[in-house]
Amino acid sequence: MKQKPSRRADAVLTAIIRNGVLAVTEEMKTNLMRTAYNMVIYEALDFTVGLFTARGETVSIGLGLPTFIRGMAETVKAMLKHFGPNGIAPGDILVTNDAYLTGSHLNHFTFAMPVFHRGVLSAFTCCMAHWTDVGGTLDGITTDIFSEGLQLPIVKYQRAGVVNEDLVEIIRMNVRIPERAMGDLRAQVTAVKTGERRFLELLDRYGRMPVLDAIQTIMDQSEAMARAHTQSIPDGVYQAESFMDDDGVEIGKPVPIRVKVIVEGDQMTIDLSQVSRQVRGFFNAGVTTGYACAQVAYKCITSPTDYPINEGSFRTLKVVLAPGTIVSAVKPAAMRWWMAFPMTIIDTIFKALEPAVPERAIAGHHADLVVAMFHGISPSDGRFFLGGFGPTGGGWGAKLTEDGVSATVCLNDGDTHNSPVEQGEAKFPVLVERHALRQDSGGAGRRRGGLGIEKTIQALVPMTINMQIDRVHCPPWGLAGGDAGAGNKVTLRLDGTEIDDLPNAKVLTRRLKPHDAWTVFSGGGGGFGSPIEREPECVRDDVAQGYVSPEAAYKLYGVVLDNEGGVDYAATERLRKMRRIGATPRRSTA
Amino acid sequence: MSQSKNRVRPHHPRTRLAADIGGTFTDIVAFEEQSGRMLLGKALSTPSHLVDGVAHGVGKAGTRYQYAKTFLHGSTIAINAILERNGAKAALLVTQGFRDIYEIGRVNRPDSYNLYFKKHVPLLPRAMIFEVRERITASGDVRTPLDETGVAAICDKLRAMGVEAVAILLLHSYRNIVHERRVKEIVADRLPGIFVTASHELSQEYREFERCSTVVANAFIGPTVRDYVAGLNRHLERSGFAGSFFIVQSTGGLYEAQQAQSQCVRMLESGPAAGVVGARALCRELGLNDTIAFDMGGTTAKAGVIHRNEVLTTSTALIGGYNQALPVQIPMIDVFEVGMGGGSIASLAENGALSVGPKSAGAEPGPACYGRGGEQPTVTDANLVLGRLDPGNFLGGEMTLDVDAAERAIVRQIAEPLGMPLRAAADGILRIATTSMSYAVKSVSTQRGLDAAAFAMIAYGGAGPLHAAAIAHEIGMERVIVPRAPGHFCAFGMLFSDLRYDFVRTWPMRLADAEFAEIERIYAGMFKAGRAALAQSKIKPSRISVERAADMRYVGQEHAVTIELPPELFRRRDRDGIKARFDDVHQLRYGTHAPNEPAEIVSLRATVTGVLKKPTPEKVATGGRAPVSDARRGTRPVFFSEHRRAERTPIYARAALKSGNRIPGPALIEEHASTTLVPPGDRVEVDALGNLVIEIGGRSR
Repeated sequence: MKQKPSRRADAVLTAIIRNGVLAVTEEMKTNLMRTAYNMVIYEALDFTVGLFTARGETVSIGLGLPTFIRGMAETVKAMLKHFGPNGIAPGDILVTNDAYLTGSHLNHFTFAMPVFHRGVLSAFTCCMAHWTDVGGTLDGITTDIFSEGLQLPIVKYQRAGVVNEDLVEIIRMNVRIPERAMGDLRAQVTAVKTGERRFLELLDRYGRMPVLDAIQTIMDQSEAMARAHTQSIPDGVYQAESFMDDDGVEIGKPVPIRVKVIVEGDQMTIDLSQVSRQVRGFFNAGVTTGYACAQVAYKCITSPTDYPINEGSFRTLKVVLAPGTIVSAVKPAAMRWWMAFPMTIIDTIFKALEPAVPERAIAGHHADLVVAMFHGISPSDGRFFLGGFGPTGGGWGAKLTEDGVSATVCLNDGDTHNSPVEQGEAKFPVLVERHALRQDSGGAGRRRGGLGIEKTIQALVPMTINMQIDRVHCPPWGLAGGDAGAGNKVTLRLDGTEIDDLPNAKVLTRRLKPHDAWTVFSGGGGGFGSPIEREPECVRDDVAQGYVSPEAAYKLYGVVLDNEGGVDYAATERLRKMRRIGATPRRSTA
Repeated sequence: MSQSKNRVRPHHPRTRLAADIGGTFTDIVAFEEQSGRMLLGKALSTPSHLVDGVAHGVGKAGTRYQYAKTFLHGSTIAINAILERNGAKAALLVTQGFRDIYEIGRVNRPDSYNLYFKKHVPLLPRAMIFEVRERITASGDVRTPLDETGVAAICDKLRAMGVEAVAILLLHSYRNIVHERRVKEIVADRLPGIFVTASHELSQEYREFERCSTVVANAFIGPTVRDYVAGLNRHLERSGFAGSFFIVQSTGGLYEAQQAQSQCVRMLESGPAAGVVGARALCRELGLNDTIAFDMGGTTAKAGVIHRNEVLTTSTALIGGYNQALPVQIPMIDVFEVGMGGGSIASLAENGALSVGPKSAGAEPGPACYGRGGEQPTVTDANLVLGRLDPGNFLGGEMTLDVDAAERAIVRQIAEPLGMPLRAAADGILRIATTSMSYAVKSVSTQRGLDAAAFAMIAYGGAGPLHAAAIAHEIGMERVIVPRAPGHFCAFGMLFSDLRYDFVRTWPMRLADAEFAEIERIYAGMFKAGRAALAQSKIKPSRISVERAADMRYVGQEHAVTIELPPELFRRRDRDGIKARFDDVHQLRYGTHAPNEPAEIVSLRATVTGVLKKPTPEKVATGGRAPVSDARRGTRPVFFSEHRRAERTPIYARAALKSGNRIPGPALIEEHASTTLVPPGDRVEVDALGNLVIEIGGRSR
């Protein structure tokens, strides 16, 4: 069905401005990335840049972390409210790391710069990026925000072009590695200034009102696309649930997640009021992240490749949140590992929608960063080091028509890179023993889940490790009769003894001696459809490549291979026939 | 055999012959050294047997292989083998415990809201990857000795599998090559005739996935490229060619055809690189320091940056688009590509959003005006409808364009649904294409901290001259230069290449405690290897130059910047001088620096160049301010957006223009494979070398 084209702005200018605002945020991203000091920003690309209207609505977000989709817009709106329309002047740069406002943790410093065009406030540029350290306790789990480091309310880093040096000194004093923090700070300032300069060029070239009208038209076009793709989902109430292992404090007590999606015509409501209450451990996120969960899921389902990401895409989405949950936490909830739980919530939304739109759904994924951080004193120079290899990546769920993707970052992360083994070993006193795909970790199904990773790292000097990995006990689920993938897992090797019966994958403040080692296992994705419907040739190839073991081929897929690794079709058909009669059809529980 | 029917001159003119094989055309440029005359040939590429296209083009140019003392060559064969997945049955040998580094890659997911996202697809399946017991540490020490028996056993398996090529990637081989070298010896010994390649021969830079992807790509295309180069060499020899045969690398430098047969990935981007080298040569001729080399063809536009007379390079190319890229970690000219060309399709989405590209109509069916069944309006259709192209004189009249079909496509797909007049819609398509290319050009320069507006543009490729002035207006550039034979420019550029060998060695050290003796030892090793490679060449360079650079960063930073370093800084062991230079470059590129913070060196780089004598281009005849009347080809109404209506626009034949001719815009200048548009208000002047120099806004300087 053709939507009536919008008449608000000229179609050609709208197309030009669409490319133009994308170029603005792309350039902000490039400049931030290349100027940043820390690996989390540069190699892991743990940041997002954006352009916003004078009211704080999203115009374009440079592709970064999906769950940052909302944080900057809310922060800009709060800054506007804080200073009032007359309290912001040309040349100001505003900053905060208020976790309850950004929805994430104190590491996310967020800078915003107003764009004044001939004296009129016309937009904001904004940049949120992860600083390696913001003070606070290094080890173990926190149970309130105050132990997590420096909290900066909404303040001005720069007033009318003059830097607030007092503020800079306060930051320097509160972080462990001030030169890195200052490097990241400069990078973020460069990014918002770049955005300001480039957007002003657009306003000068085409005029303020035509550009702002074109932006409204872009939003209307995104809205039209989201609306059409919501309309095509059958009306109904769709629900699903899942759980997190625990909050790191009360070990073994699951944290329940329940989501409800209501589709009515061209409107969708995502109700997250029934997710768990906020928890004691540092796995809470602010209300902004609650909205982000719903928006990310909605975009994936309705307009995954519509760019720029803008406010218009979400006009047909309503989000219901209750105060005080794990994605709408209130002070003084601990927030340091905020990013772990929301992506399971998003995955659970896909699970809920599978009966309605199977072709747009995806089975569960490993849903965790699967990171290990380590620190100690380097014997070579006597300096403190804080190291890691970035996100491990793991298996993704299968879809109706495609196998899941192996070894890819979780939903929280986007264009986020791991760190090369050769780089980590050159920088830190560790030795990577193994970095490999996990055979049989992908959930069996007509379409198979992607494979997870295992990575074993040996300490070469005494050091302390910290991991806060979840989803051991609620492995990535299959859909439509597909099996679950393997869950995440951690094992340790201490004094030569392998420990593989940890109660969860949260290993906090563990001291290691030289030769001790840890292994992180990231989960595989869930399967889609019944495994005994998978084409025997696909199973044969999976075995030939080593993704699936011959045992699993027989046990899970009902495929019999001969001595040369070829399919024994007759035996396979017999085995599968028995399975069909004998076993009740496997359905997902949702 | 040359198909030339041209008469043979009594004295064989000593010639440099350049052949650039592209997707559609094979371009030949022959430069006669004494007269400075340039002969051009253009033939359709012949994918099944590429030498036929070369032979045909050489014949069309009216020259002969016997005259040539050098044969310079660029080809898409290497990159196409990767993009079309049409390579050898290859195997990979890796350090034990790391079988999957190639498939795992960098685990990123740029297409981050798309649940149907795809990762890079390896060039060989997992079953073809074998682990070798050995381990070298980050400091280059052998932690686990090489299990030679295990390697031999793998070789036996590979033989049984009928493998055609073997790639070797061992961890930290950039620091210590001993295991990789030994594995290669064993493989070569046990599998004679098989293409064997080890990562350290291509890259001695850290990052195991990138190095792995590089060496696998080399193995995958190796047998194809080796056989192709050998075949071409045989063809040359049989045709009476007795000179030196060089191939253009992605750096724009030349290497011996012999070396191209083992270091195949170095020629991936040979054609585009040669164009940028040609642009730099032109800059030197014209005394320009800062230019953008802009090449626009049927499906893509490419931009390279020349800053202070040096071509900007990058250390890694991403082959096959960012989202699913296979990285190749070797130095190359930083050529930025945007999916915008003559064939780019304009379309209207269901939500009313208008866009142009990156989808392209390609050569088949091509733009609607080609009359081969294409119904989607393209950039070429818009140009035709607005009068910028002559329907009866496309490709020198070899093809007739269907104006009605172009109009129909634009009306049906764009103008009618949007309620716009035809010409406004066509003009809109061009404006979108223009701005999108201008954003791309700006982004390549600002990524380096440069301001594109201060640059001149050298425009070539079939569609470049038609769009260049509009893009220059958009960016605020003051001058556009359209070289002679813009459709042959990449082949032309090859004539200005030098022999070049690049080396890199990752060797992390803090600048404050760097051992200069060690640095000298590493540089000396690289220089020696470069000179040895030059010594193998049949041609003697007029001189040899060596350059040093280092990849540096502030301590704690991840991303390193390549800094060119004059040798005297090392001779003086001038840590502060090196640091100051790094601070300056950081300030230039990123707008920020930290003079008080310590820096470290990550990798050392060396380039050894064998400088070749360059041709002196022929000058064109001098004429008056006004072109001779022969040059006039009548007028055509051309629509310009600034005036919102069609203007009677004079048309000139480029071949008849003379040095000193000045033509005010609007004007169209036509030649065989290209048309130059001079917009209203701008002015073009023909310089002594026959270049069209467009002064944007008519300013003369």
